[in-house]
Amino acid sequence: MAHSTFYLGMIPLYPLLGAVCIGLLHIFTCRRCRLPQLVYGLLACVGPALSFFLALRVFFELQALPLESRFFSYKAFTWFSVGDLHLNMGFLADPLSSLMLLFVTFIGTLIHVYSIGYMDGDKTYGKFFAYMNLFLGSMLILVLADSPVVMFIGWEGVGLCSYLLISYYNEDSENVLAGNKAFIVNRIGDLGFVLGMGFLFWAIGSHGFDFLSLKANAHLMTESTILIVCLLLFIGATGKSAQIPLYVWLPDAMAGPTPVSALIHAATMVTAGVYMVARFSFLYVEVASASMVVAWVGILTALLAAVFGMFQDDIKKILAYSTVSQLGYMFAGVGVTAYSAGIFHVFTHAFFKALLFLGAGAVIYALHHQQNIWKMGGLKKKMPITYWTMLVGALALAGCPPFAGFFSKDEILYSALANGHFFIWLIGVLVAAMTAYYTFRMIFVVFHGEPRDQHAYEHAHEAPLVMTIPLIILAIGAVIAGFYNFPAIFGGEQMISHWLAPSVADQHPHGSFLLEFFVIATSVAAFAFGVWVAYKRFGKGAEEPVFTGFASFAFHKFYVDELYNAVFVQPYKVIGTAISDEVEPNMTDAPVTSASRLYMRVGNLVKIFQSGYVRTYAIYMVLGLGIMSLILSQSLN
Amino acid sequence: MIHDYLVLSVILFCLGIVGVFARRNVFTVFMSVELMLNSANLAFIAFARLHQNMDGHVLALLVMAVAAAEVALALAVVILLHKQTGKLDTNVFSLLKG
Amino acid sequence: MFAHLLSVMIFLPIVAGLILLFAPLGRTTARVAGFGVSLAVLVLSFDVYAGFTATGKLEFVEYIPWIPSLGIAYHLGIDGISLFILMASAVLLPLVFVLFGTRSKGYYANLLLVEGAMLGAICAADLVLFYVFWEVMLLPVFFMLGLYGGPNKLPATLKITLYTIAGSLLMLASLVYLAVQYHTLTGEWSFSIEKMGLLNLSGQAAAVALFGFMIAFAIKIPLFPFHTWLPDAYTEAPSATTFVLSAIMAKIGVYGVIRVVMPAFEMEFARYALLFAYAGVISMMYCGLAAIAQKDYKRMLAFSSASHMGIIAVGVFSMNVQALTGTIYQIVAHATSTGVLFLFAGILEERTRTRAINDLGGLASKAPVFALFFAIAMLASVGLPGTSGFIGEFLIILGALKFNVWIGVFTGLSLIIGVCYMLWMFQRVFFEKSKAASESFKDLSLVEGLAFVPVMLLILIMGIYPHPFLRKIEPSTAQYIAAVAPSGVTQTVAVSPALPAELTTEKN
Repeated sequence: MAHSTFYLGMIPLYPLLGAVCIGLLHIFTCRRCRLPQLVYGLLACVGPALSFFLALRVFFELQALPLESRFFSYKAFTWFSVGDLHLNMGFLADPLSSLMLLFVTFIGTLIHVYSIGYMDGDKTYGKFFAYMNLFLGSMLILVLADSPVVMFIGWEGVGLCSYLLISYYNEDSENVLAGNKAFIVNRIGDLGFVLGMGFLFWAIGSHGFDFLSLKANAHLMTESTILIVCLLLFIGATGKSAQIPLYVWLPDAMAGPTPVSALIHAATMVTAGVYMVARFSFLYVEVASASMVVAWVGILTALLAAVFGMFQDDIKKILAYSTVSQLGYMFAGVGVTAYSAGIFHVFTHAFFKALLFLGAGAVIYALHHQQNIWKMGGLKKKMPITYWTMLVGALALAGCPPFAGFFSKDEILYSALANGHFFIWLIGVLVAAMTAYYTFRMIFVVFHGEPRDQHAYEHAHEAPLVMTIPLIILAIGAVIAGFYNFPAIFGGEQMISHWLAPSVADQHPHGSFLLEFFVIATSVAAFAFGVWVAYKRFGKGAEEPVFTGFASFAFHKFYVDELYNAVFVQPYKVIGTAISDEVEPNMTDAPVTSASRLYMRVGNLVKIFQSGYVRTYAIYMVLGLGIMSLILSQSLN
Repeated sequence: MIHDYLVLSVILFCLGIVGVFARRNVFTVFMSVELMLNSANLAFIAFARLHQNMDGHVLALLVMAVAAAEVALALAVVILLHKQTGKLDTNVFSLLKG
Repeated sequence: MFAHLLSVMIFLPIVAGLILLFAPLGRTTARVAGFGVSLAVLVLSFDVYAGFTATGKLEFVEYIPWIPSLGIAYHLGIDGISLFILMASAVLLPLVFVLFGTRSKGYYANLLLVEGAMLGAICAADLVLFYVFWEVMLLPVFFMLGLYGGPNKLPATLKITLYTIAGSLLMLASLVYLAVQYHTLTGEWSFSIEKMGLLNLSGQAAAVALFGFMIAFAIKIPLFPFHTWLPDAYTEAPSATTFVLSAIMAKIGVYGVIRVVMPAFEMEFARYALLFAYAGVISMMYCGLAAIAQKDYKRMLAFSSASHMGIIAVGVFSMNVQALTGTIYQIVAHATSTGVLFLFAGILEERTRTRAINDLGGLASKAPVFALFFAIAMLASVGLPGTSGFIGEFLIILGALKFNVWIGVFTGLSLIIGVCYMLWMFQRVFFEKSKAASESFKDLSLVEGLAFVPVMLLILIMGIYPHPFLRKIEPSTAQYIAAVAPSGVTQTVAVSPALPAELTTEKN
């Protein structure tokens, strides 16, 4: 390769170095001299910004390459090599990773800037930024990894940062529990990932365990092995990307600071599962049943989360469920083998969901950590920038043309229908309507109508510039991101689909113009219907409803958390206690203790003969001698 | 002839045993032990006479010498015991009780 | 580099320990002297590491006939497997002298003695010599636990001592059996471990002897159901002793399996490997489950240590290069993570005077450095990628999958089980609100912090750049596997149900 690829390794390294520097600085200064917060903040933005520029360079260098060899890699060092397992700490840039790279670094940088304002006054400011940089570094490793195992470093690294940041306000045990839940649920998924890697390795890993070799050798595997590998990897994806049945951690993860929710739990980390499935698309296309599982799990998650989202009263929980729901869409997309559509949705979603979260963060910030939407209202006048930017985000999320979300969602639905998955499409449209409904329910309740809490309203104020500028930039992104994949039907070039084509095994549907038009029409209708219902109910101010029947059931999230608690957590604790208090002393240790008791018993028995009196011993002696002489005389005779 | 001597020896020996078993005074026990030794001596001498050789005499003299040495040691022990407890009752000394 | 490097490493601490024991020295002098000696051993161990050429054979061999008529010799040597256990013990022991200051002279003497004995057991290439060091290892532990332990030290001391000795006697009988077999086969007497590898024993008698060894090692490791001495001993022992027990001594059990049992009983070992692997898996799950219910953090760590040892054992019995290499790697990783956690527990115990998890809280804000180091060790112990724990665990899981799918899956469960109790403990000790016992907790002092920095760096370096380490291990493990595997692997894989056919047959 003509050009140096060394800088590829620098992309994750910059934020990681930033994390180490900030972390050390924090450790050394948190006790005695407090550094001004801006030092940490600026230092934290350097790493992501540098990575972003390098990501741009990656993008342009890739663009310069011919289509069929549009990738390059950088091998930092041999990671480990045992038997026929050879792993490099290697990084791979191809169209897929470069796209992820671009928006991850871009949004990451913006959110770091935003955090300078949001975290203002926090006691452990340095720690926060160290974690954020660590997260970004791990995420970039995940994206750039050239083999599944290197990907797994990033995969678990982002999980760790997610844990650390969810339990950031760690004095409150609720937050820490939410963090634990996230980590443990993710770990369940990670087990799937590890086992998937194991099977993959024993099948074809000996020919090289990096993505390129795997792709080249995938044909050596039998269908059943591919199925097992795909399903196991997908378990990993459901953990990281919060799909059924492992979605439960994401809503709780909102306990973390809002920039964290925006960066980790909306824009980047949670989409890692989709990215992974797209990375392994060469396996998933081989087995239709695996893809179908992905698609159905995705669309059902989308439906379930949308139902939950309609009844939440915490602004961040609404957004969290909408994230779960949108992630479901993405999986539906990659599940119907429209990988570029799925990734496109990842791309657009990152913009508008980050925007919505940051906007929600601005609202929460203004209202002094009030998150209940029924305590808000009428904020439009007080916070115009936040309102307008959030409105853009909401329109994008709800799928209003021509905002970003419309194009990506439409493409998924179109692919589903064109590839013959009628029911997935149908549920998708239903979810689109529900999305529009709950999104605008939130907008109307928070920004329109009369203030519900007069005191809080009066103290509300627009966020500082350092927070609103990222909002505005993201809003612009949310408007234009969709045009990068302008549908062919409108004469668009489908830039992203073409860009991704070398990386993912897309199966392009050959739908007709009529079909595409039909899909667009239904999507727009679903959007309009959802907004209309929301407006009817909440447009002119509404009071907090009392949920009954199904609504109450949905408000309590179908009691899934309670169910999991009863089925998994409690038995686990009970078994643990039983083992430690009952089995251990009474069963496993019983042979040992009873052996020692046996000795005691025998000893007690023998003890009787030891009277301690001289004459008793004399008697024993005489008796013994007598018996001996008797035996002796007998034997002599 | 030899029979009578042996019977006497056995009687003396049994007296000694009974003394050791039944008496509690350390000195009496001690004297009973001496009695047993002497009964053995008597048997030795009797056999020596019977077989007309000196083996029995040698052994008898040896026993006496050992007994004398043992007396010296044992009396010292008894005195020490008496110093410690002020008693000469064997039942007091039961440290070996299990 | 001098000629008898290994002997010097073994006997320097033993002699120094004996001198300390009898010389009229003060506590501080003893501590400094102990630290100096352990540092000297550390320096020597680097010499060994640098000189080790990873040929797969024994290196640094010393051979002096001891009882020539029976072929018993003072025979030392190390290979890639023992090298890392040797390094782990040499690197970690100086820490103990730095961290725990308020102990009496005899304590330091015993620590030195135990170090010497452990190094001896690691380097021994003769069965009798191995046995002697194996037994000697226990004596200092007996004294440290019995003299300086916690409130219930006596029952714990008796339990560990008698239990281990019972196992050792079985081992003694088995090793005599080995030598006798060797004699009947070749007509010469030998107790050399290498030569035992030439035997390929099978049949009922061999199986009995195998179990004799295995029970001895299973007690030391410990494997379910021979672990019951562990919670008491680990909890009651002074933290430095617990550290020695968990970080190094347990590993010598695993080491014994690899070094003695695997080569000598190829056939029988392969036949029973699945059984033992299940024992490892059950150990991992049983102790992992028990750990979550503990109210005493030291006892929790004790169960956690046993749980991780279960995984390490699975690696040994999986009988392929990945798993065995992973095992050796995990041995070091476990020493630097779970072992080091015991040192942190010791510091906690010393400063808060309590072992109850619920008495603590909020340490993360009180002592950020302590919390950071604890967290790094904890994450390594749960196998987070980027730390030393991941490489070993990943290789073991990989190897176990190859050996038997279900063993692999169950081993993988450790990813989840470990993280549950660790996070739950971490939350209650380091997060939440501070409680009375932790109110005045002081962060690590500069010296303590500096003492831990190398270990923390080791955890990270071993996770990020393991290649140089693995390169030294692999030739030896490959050789062991080459000796065992051909007869073993095919036999046991046939048991695995769900593995698709080409997974088992494909082997390039």
